[in-house]
Amino acid sequence: MNGFGGFVLRRAVGTVITLLAISVIIYVVFYATPGNVAQITCGPRCSPEQVRQVTEQLRLDDPLYLRYWHFLVGILVGRDYSTGTSLEHCAAPCLGLSYQSDQQVLDIILTKLPVSLSLVLGAMVLWLVLGVGTGVLSAWRRGRISERVLTAVTLAGTATPVFVIGLVLMIVVCGEFQLLPFPQYVPFTDDPEQWAWNLLLPWFSLALIEAAAFARLTRASMLETLAEDHIRTFRAYGVGERAIIRRHALRGALAPVIALNANNVGSAVGGAVLTETLFGLPGIGQELVHAVKVVDLPVVVGMVLVIGFFVVLANAVADVLYAVADRRVVLA
Amino acid sequence: MSETLVASRTPGTDTPVPGASGASRFWRRLRARPSALVAAAVVALLVLVALAAPLLTAVEGQDPTTYHPSLIDSARGGVPLGSFGGIGADHWLGVEPQTGRDLFARLVYGARVSLGVALAATALQVVLGVAIGVGAALGNRWVDQLLSRATDIIVAMPLMVMSLALLAIVPESFPRTVLVTFVIGLIGWGNIAKIVRAQTLTLKGLDYVSAARLSGWGRWRIARRELLPGLAAPVITYAALLVPSNISVEAALSFLGVGVKPPTPSWGQMLTAADVWYQAAPQYLLLPAGALFLTVLALTVLGDGVRTALDPRAASRLRVGTGRRREAKAGETAHSESDKPHKEGNA
Amino acid sequence: MRQPSVHRARVATVSLALVVAAGAAACGPKDNDAKGSAGDSTPHKGGTLTVLNSEPQTDFDPARLYTSGGGNVPSLVFRTLTTRNREDGAAGAEVVPDLATDTGRPNKDATVWTYTLKKGLAYEDGTPITSADIKYGIERSFAPELSGGAPYLRDWLVGAADYQGPYKDKKGLSAIETPDERTLVFHLNKPEGEFPYLATQTQFTPVPKGKDTGTKYEEHPVSSGPYKVVKNENDGEHLVLERNPHWSAATDAERKAYPDTIDVRSGLDSSVINQRLSASQGADAAAVTTDTNLGPAELAKVTGDKELAARVGTGHFGYTNYLAFNPTVKPFDDVKVRQAISYAVDRSSVINAAGGSALAEAATTYLPNQKSFGHEPYDLFPAGATGNAQKAKELLKQAGYGKGLTLTLTHSNDKNFETSPEIATAVQDALKKAGITVRLQGLEDNDYRDKIHSVKTEPGFFLAHWGADWPSGGPFLAPIFDGRQIVKDGANFNTGLLDDKSVNAEIDAINKLTDLDAAAKRWGALDKRIGEQALTVPLFHPVYKRLYGKDVKNIVISDWTGVLDISQVSVK
Repeated sequence: MNGFGGFVLRRAVGTVITLLAISVIIYVVFYATPGNVAQITCGPRCSPEQVRQVTEQLRLDDPLYLRYWHFLVGILVGRDYSTGTSLEHCAAPCLGLSYQSDQQVLDIILTKLPVSLSLVLGAMVLWLVLGVGTGVLSAWRRGRISERVLTAVTLAGTATPVFVIGLVLMIVVCGEFQLLPFPQYVPFTDDPEQWAWNLLLPWFSLALIEAAAFARLTRASMLETLAEDHIRTFRAYGVGERAIIRRHALRGALAPVIALNANNVGSAVGGAVLTETLFGLPGIGQELVHAVKVVDLPVVVGMVLVIGFFVVLANAVADVLYAVADRRVVLA
Repeated sequence: MSETLVASRTPGTDTPVPGASGASRFWRRLRARPSALVAAAVVALLVLVALAAPLLTAVEGQDPTTYHPSLIDSARGGVPLGSFGGIGADHWLGVEPQTGRDLFARLVYGARVSLGVALAATALQVVLGVAIGVGAALGNRWVDQLLSRATDIIVAMPLMVMSLALLAIVPESFPRTVLVTFVIGLIGWGNIAKIVRAQTLTLKGLDYVSAARLSGWGRWRIARRELLPGLAAPVITYAALLVPSNISVEAALSFLGVGVKPPTPSWGQMLTAADVWYQAAPQYLLLPAGALFLTVLALTVLGDGVRTALDPRAASRLRVGTGRRREAKAGETAHSESDKPHKEGNA
Repeated sequence: MRQPSVHRARVATVSLALVVAAGAAACGPKDNDAKGSAGDSTPHKGGTLTVLNSEPQTDFDPARLYTSGGGNVPSLVFRTLTTRNREDGAAGAEVVPDLATDTGRPNKDATVWTYTLKKGLAYEDGTPITSADIKYGIERSFAPELSGGAPYLRDWLVGAADYQGPYKDKKGLSAIETPDERTLVFHLNKPEGEFPYLATQTQFTPVPKGKDTGTKYEEHPVSSGPYKVVKNENDGEHLVLERNPHWSAATDAERKAYPDTIDVRSGLDSSVINQRLSASQGADAAAVTTDTNLGPAELAKVTGDKELAARVGTGHFGYTNYLAFNPTVKPFDDVKVRQAISYAVDRSSVINAAGGSALAEAATTYLPNQKSFGHEPYDLFPAGATGNAQKAKELLKQAGYGKGLTLTLTHSNDKNFETSPEIATAVQDALKKAGITVRLQGLEDNDYRDKIHSVKTEPGFFLAHWGADWPSGGPFLAPIFDGRQIVKDGANFNTGLLDDKSVNAEIDAINKLTDLDAAAKRWGALDKRIGEQALTVPLFHPVYKRLYGKDVKNIVISDWTGVLDISQVSVK
């Protein structure tokens, strides 16, 4: 326990180690992945000679450790790349150049990240409202019909893959009743109102998938808190049920909800692949799956690192929030 | 990750169960919950249907792979002929668009794959998660560091990327269903390990465990006799959530083209193929979606029931007045300052 | 060749470009049901045409694009020496002049081709287009970093095999002469009567040397066509094209260019595209897609709805899906086994798996069933609609497999409904009737491509497809059946490993013909001759069904591309 500074330092060191390990794993795994990268990059009807030149240019001949070393060097001090027609400097932290598009991986990530963050943060608000709301209601109305219905609805959300929920929502809301236009990503900076309208359905679809877990968690934690002795004492002293729920029971649910939320937000930044694909949102997840398919290693490694970073970051933020919410907790 | 935080991640983690309680009490408590019994019956039925798939389809007189081109309208994209997707005496739930394969047969055979993959993957996740979580908590500092770091890495690694990559690397001749199970299982144990490690640390600090240690019990004996029962409640709760999520992962893998191999049916594969048919042949989508929903609902209710039955405090909550109580609030773990004194609740 | 993969980026160029160009149908009886649906069908200038696509235009460099006939969106920006005739049906499979005054003047043996540029041609900045710019455009396509196009220029031009592009080799290609600003002379290393077809590809687009920025050129390629690129976001995900004021309709008989603006949105889910087109609300009323077919489920819905059915354009692109054999792998070395499989195959269930009879037509010939290919109908191993299991069993018995046969069928795991598990499963089910047990080997798409296109790893029996680089037998038969095109150390497309002297000789003989109709007839006859060897089992030719918005007029679908030509549509 040496204060917030120590916490940040320990977390930072841990993050770096985790991310390094992840990058090594990805390098090794993708080294073993089938697919002739040079042929894919060059084009299906490239001649063996052209393929050889592409191999040389992308330095695909280098042994694995050398390629990884260049990658690390790029992150620390930057690298120079030849695209064949020009020389390009990629400043530190350089995550490399995409095999496929010759764009800097960092640039690709920076254009995709706002989309993913827009999707995930908006959906987060919805899933917290839906999930925690349902959880509170069902803890309060425990055993009644309304609780069972709520539980069934949230579970239906969890049990249905997002490509089904999203498509059906889209067909009904946008196609049949035409309540909303078909989603099409509009950057927040261009038009905040259109941004929100267009993201409404994606937010809703993603939130429906996640809400059930929050509902279960909130409900269970609240029930546990409500069963505690001091709550019964409050009740005995005539404290109203609403006040108990608001002041005490909800507080008990706060910690697990924060933790689960951190986990979900972190992994959804790169994991909302299906939602992004279905709604045509040009985010990290969609790009990542594409990069995996064409074995575009620099893009895959770069994106996985960014996603890993968000998971770690989200968890750290959760710890801080939790400490703020509950003085008794010590940051470790 | 701070253990206090993780400890609180799952409700019920703060309620260790002493080894004394025994199975009979568990069953008694479980039987007292009719919803849990219904859910158990549904789960049993689903498993039975999956196991008896060959028998059931034989009764129907169909199999999941034979094409029936005469039952579909080729000119209209292969939509099933007849009302409600071709439901009739021969095909109890109608036929699949484009192929005319029997939907009932595919649904029950699909249950084998989906339930099999999801349950086996969950079991793998639980075994790995418990082993690594307990190992980290009971091991020395270095073991803890190593295992916790490995857990962090697994949690931070995007599941889809690793699944896609692993499924591409392993030779095609390896049985795909087993492979999908392993991939889901091997990638998804991170959170359970975190929960278990935190919970174990909490338990370790508790009086009765300390007492056992002081009385000279070995590490493994303590783990087996004192810790594992205390881990059961949170692990079961979490596992009940993992099963449906594993079914979804299997569906997502199918969606991305790396699921189980055709012509083997799975619910995930059916959902993937069926979503576009929502308007033209709704039953094609509704059948696997309904089956999946039923499974998730039953497992959740059953999970709740089992957890409550395992958890004496929850039981006491059900019958207010039986005074066997224990308090071990999330914040009051070994590593936290506590503003509330520990209450000795172990009767 | 068209690769219908889902890959974007350079690979995808191929698919995109060709899908874009992919083509329509002359031979089908039902290619006219889409036209003339609107009340006032007179096209007018103005408005914004929206294009909703699944594949982003990741490559927009004319050197890198792999197109048939210049592509659809690219053809709005890039003019080429020749281009495809923008007309419905079979007439649309003809090659016509574009930047050049004619389709090319060959010498006696078709080894030297001379072109003259039209007068008054200019880029978007008003500078004149010269013959040197076209030569430069071709040269840059040889740079390895700008690879991706079709292999013909490298194979055909004298001394081009080792050429590395203008960045490394300042001398340039001596095979292309530019005696003056309006004349180009191409020297080929062998007779090629189909050179005018090749000159439709985007590599024949002029690129001003001073504006060439290498790999960055695609961010703003200099337009020679009716539209210029004003916006290219997210690596081709969102393109906005506006009128090029320096394009003169007087020099361009092919592109109508009615809309003022073209807004291309891609990266969309295919079912979402079709939902949007069918709802046709807002800007989607003036929308088309150049790469997304109606799926079977959507087709089931559309056919029940008159309003929607009137908004479907039907077309045929020269394309064949087939089962391929590697005769060096047992038991496929035995022609009887190959014939037995040809007899046993159930085309109707394969067609159903591909989307039903509205989306696929049974194929018994390797060449697409269109006039420009010289299609000669034949059915050498008649299997009927559902397979001739009896005949297949007889042949297997003769081959020594009377007790049945177990085979492995290799396919891709990509959900493309061509080489995908759905088709493989249908084949598997069909062969069961003939006593053939099929084990499916599904590979990840990259792995699948690597394996089937490498002589060393090629499996014995696999799903394959081939599409036309231009609507003729040449690019359809030569890469697949010319023995001299077997590539031992790289991507090989002659998967049947056929090296038949008489076939090679006939290919050479046809290539000498500059009378394309006469050539077509001989390609058709050659196809039948090769078919006798049963190296492939043709399965089906795809049919393109494309929905378009309710305000879209002037639908033209040629047999060259099979999809509505966006240079022809109007939205007013």
